[in-house]
Amino acid sequence: MALTLTCPVCGKRNGYEFRYGGEDKGPRPAEAGLTPRAWCDYVHMNKCTAGVQKEWWFHRDGCGSWFTTWRDTTNNLEVEQPEASK
Amino acid sequence: MNRLNQLPTLRINPSEKLSLSYRGKSYQGVAGDTVATALYANGVRVFARSLKYHRPRGLYSLDGECSNTCMDVNSIPNIRTENTLLKDGMVVKEQNVMGSADRDWLSFIDKLDWMMPAGFYYKTMHKPASMWPVAMKQIRKAAGLGVISADYQMKGQYDELFLKAEVTVIGGGAAGMTAALAAAESGQRVVLLESRPHLGGCFDYRVSATGDGTPLYERARELAEKVEQTGNIRVFKHTSMVGAYNNNLITGFQVGNADDVFTERYIEIRSNSVVVATGCIERPLIFDHNERPGVMQAGCAHRMARTYGLLPGSEAVFSVGHDLGLEAAVDLFDLGLKINCVADIREDGQNAELMLALAERKIPVLKGWVASKAHGSKKVEKVTLSTVEGTVKRDFPCDLLVASAGLTPVTGPFILAQAKMGYDSHTGYFLPTELPAKMFPAGRITGINNPGSIEASGRLAGLKAAAAAGADMGKTVADAEKAASTLPGPERGCKLVTAPVKGRKSFICFDEDTTIKNIKQAIDMGFDVPELIKRFTSAGTGPGQGGIPGHNLPLFVAKYTASINTPVPTTVRPPLVPTFLATYAGYNHHMFKHTPLNDSQKADGGIFRNIGVWQRARYFSDDFECKEEILNVRNNVGMLDGSTLGKFRIHGPDALKAFQRVYVSDMSKVKEGRIKYSAMCNDDGCVMDDGVVVKLGENDYYFTTSSGRAGQTVEWIRYHTRFDGWDFHLVNLTDAMGVINLSGPNARKVLAKVVDIDLSNEAFPFSGYKEFFIKDTIFVRAMRLGFVGEISYELHVPSSCTQAVWDMLKEAGAEFGIRNFGVEAQNVLRMEKCHIILGQESEQRTNLLDVGLGFLWDRKKADAKTVGAVALRQAEKDVGRLKLVGISMEDDTRAAREGALIVDNKVRGYVATMRKSFTTGEAVGMALVESQLADKGTRLEIFEDECNGVRLYARVVPMPFYDPTGERMKN
Repeated sequence: MALTLTCPVCGKRNGYEFRYGGEDKGPRPAEAGLTPRAWCDYVHMNKCTAGVQKEWWFHRDGCGSWFTTWRDTTNNLEVEQPEASK
Repeated sequence: MNRLNQLPTLRINPSEKLSLSYRGKSYQGVAGDTVATALYANGVRVFARSLKYHRPRGLYSLDGECSNTCMDVNSIPNIRTENTLLKDGMVVKEQNVMGSADRDWLSFIDKLDWMMPAGFYYKTMHKPASMWPVAMKQIRKAAGLGVISADYQMKGQYDELFLKAEVTVIGGGAAGMTAALAAAESGQRVVLLESRPHLGGCFDYRVSATGDGTPLYERARELAEKVEQTGNIRVFKHTSMVGAYNNNLITGFQVGNADDVFTERYIEIRSNSVVVATGCIERPLIFDHNERPGVMQAGCAHRMARTYGLLPGSEAVFSVGHDLGLEAAVDLFDLGLKINCVADIREDGQNAELMLALAERKIPVLKGWVASKAHGSKKVEKVTLSTVEGTVKRDFPCDLLVASAGLTPVTGPFILAQAKMGYDSHTGYFLPTELPAKMFPAGRITGINNPGSIEASGRLAGLKAAAAAGADMGKTVADAEKAASTLPGPERGCKLVTAPVKGRKSFICFDEDTTIKNIKQAIDMGFDVPELIKRFTSAGTGPGQGGIPGHNLPLFVAKYTASINTPVPTTVRPPLVPTFLATYAGYNHHMFKHTPLNDSQKADGGIFRNIGVWQRARYFSDDFECKEEILNVRNNVGMLDGSTLGKFRIHGPDALKAFQRVYVSDMSKVKEGRIKYSAMCNDDGCVMDDGVVVKLGENDYYFTTSSGRAGQTVEWIRYHTRFDGWDFHLVNLTDAMGVINLSGPNARKVLAKVVDIDLSNEAFPFSGYKEFFIKDTIFVRAMRLGFVGEISYELHVPSSCTQAVWDMLKEAGAEFGIRNFGVEAQNVLRMEKCHIILGQESEQRTNLLDVGLGFLWDRKKADAKTVGAVALRQAEKDVGRLKLVGISMEDDTRAAREGALIVDNKVRGYVATMRKSFTTGEAVGMALVESQLADKGTRLEIFEDECNGVRLYARVVPMPFYDPTGERMKN
């Protein structure tokens, strides 16, 4: 509950206003040649990083946009995009 | 008891009398009293009996650090009466006693302590195993705190407040107030929390002088006035801080005054930086019978007199380890207390002025002496003082023993903020070794006691906090730092842990009746870490939240184990002080939405239920089977308020692309003037939503969702298109449009009287869509649907006009006997047609194919990457799935309950919906069953809760049960 997130439209807001949308796993894979296992991995498998990860959030009680941000899962604080990922 | 009514330090109003009832008798207190001080003024000395040994307990700290004064107030047990303000008419009872607190028949248990060594509860009572329930029952009867009545209803108004501040200051003493004032200079928003009902902290009750000669209490009042008058400081008095979380989120709760609208309110402050000015409590002195009524801490005795006007005794002995104790002795002597002796644990280092003042008053002082035993059974009558080594002893008579080993900083906020705590050998305090981000200590918590230093440290911390919160403070921080450094710093603290005693009756934790002997036993059994000893002996786990043993336990463990390492403190967790669940729960908001037709549905006798976020008319008579409502739709015409339906418009160049992604059907085939029924699945192929779509133009659609999904639809569509960068707009019209469902064989005739378009079956057929105006003004989107299985028009009307259209239809239908039907009647009607409701005929794992909607799915649009398509392709090959089937009970009078299980020797499915059908005369419904049981005619065995072994039986029958060819709804 102590989480705050920075919405690209509304700015830094209380974490209560957002819904979590999972780790960022990239766009949906093409259906052609997709094995059930590869699909299942895309939908359900997570890295569960202990540290900084890129993830999706939805500003449910605000502007209604989906956006990505970076969060340190070990202390639940939003962080700047790490240099290594730029 | 006579009050010292003229003291300038008083926080009571002696002229405003309040009454309270205790043990059935009426007593009087005054405004500003706590429950405990009012009882004390009326001669009550034994407030409670202890948890285990039923020892008498009295007033000890005045700040709620132990359960000594926990009582039952207005039927709420475990109220810490010493910091609960008295309100007129309170009913107070003692708890955990057999008899009364004064004469408790269970007090004999105190003599049986030898039977109860540390951990006895874990070690003895379970052999033989059959005895355990019996033993447990007896122990629970005798031990514990208060009892709450099972049918007790919490009274009062519990509010909540969510604040944003640049600087939060915890503690409204001199340091906290100066910090708040300093931070406020920057113009930032400052919130100040004070747990007592008034600002002032340790200055509030002291008459000794500051540097310029102003008495401390006057200085405190000056500061308080300044704070209250500063516009950007928001002050919360009688507010305890209970939690600190990431990003300096501070939580607490405020207790309301008699004239506040709230009883208590939860406060959550999102703060940029925090000043911790929580000050100190006293470290209890451990000696034999150190918790006898009549033994109290120096601050407690001092505040009793100065704040509440109550001289705490007539003849006193002091055994203290700090100058505040000496100051209390001098001041209380001046207020009329006879003092037989002051024993100071310290050999030297006392404040010279205070020593002189004691000498002037001819109060005997023993340096290097300490109380070793309190005598008397229910009250202190005599005390044995001894040298710290225990070599020489002397007895003194007294009815008040002021005992305090030293001071303990209130570091809870730091520990909650995950600061690492370390032992400081100068002060003897556990202090943060590294400060958490943007958190600053101020005042006595750092070990200082000099009034000037306290204010200077407050100012410095306030400025630092403002700077950390982003204010440009220029040189002021450096100046304040310099000013503070010239003043006296932290004082050397008294390190004595226990008087020279064996410890059988020396209590380290009052709440849990844990003695020094218990701690030794635990250590002798091999426990060596305070955190584990705390759990094994339960010391510090009571209502005081470790206030009494928190500091002493690690010190004693270090000493007894002769550890070469520095002592390790135990930890604390939120809430830092006992908090009502009601306070956390807050106000019961009863939040729900009303449809535009709410009032007329009510006027028509609708019986409402909360359904999702809505309040909807579920029935229109006391007959909850809705026979009349149902038959009226089947044979005549009825009207339903369907405004809760999710309604949306999507438009923009990529609207169709978005539709192809989320709907399983090929949405490019939707034709203007026709409605298209389709469904949305999730990535597992599980069906999430169904509804209809109409095409308004190129890349412009109006569509509906089920009522329960309306809230998530925008999120859903945007989520599944988030990587594509498509251009479309999605507008939620759910609240903007009302929906009237007009159904029944006479529906066409009724509608024809209101609208002037051609309603013939050729012009407006089943599955048709029309837009028109009623009376040239009201815009209507009309769909011909058949959810209930009859001719049916669904009219989507702007919310502001929905009532008008409803009234027109009602008037037009009067000659046919039109009447309302509710959600329950609709449920039965659609069930007879086997039209599914998602969430009713499906659960989270049910996919599109299971419920027989596979025909909606278009497999030839792989490019659209339709949500769920990959999983559906896989699920098609899966034979182990449940299937939706129609079932009919063998006994027509008895419909199985929803959720009843279909079994043989294991669970094979469940009943989704089942009702007695007035149309067919049978008890019919739908069930999800394993595919082996899905063949027509299969006999199903149904298990209901509480069926007592009697099974129900049904057979699989063809769907739908009513009008299988659909002629009635299509003509």
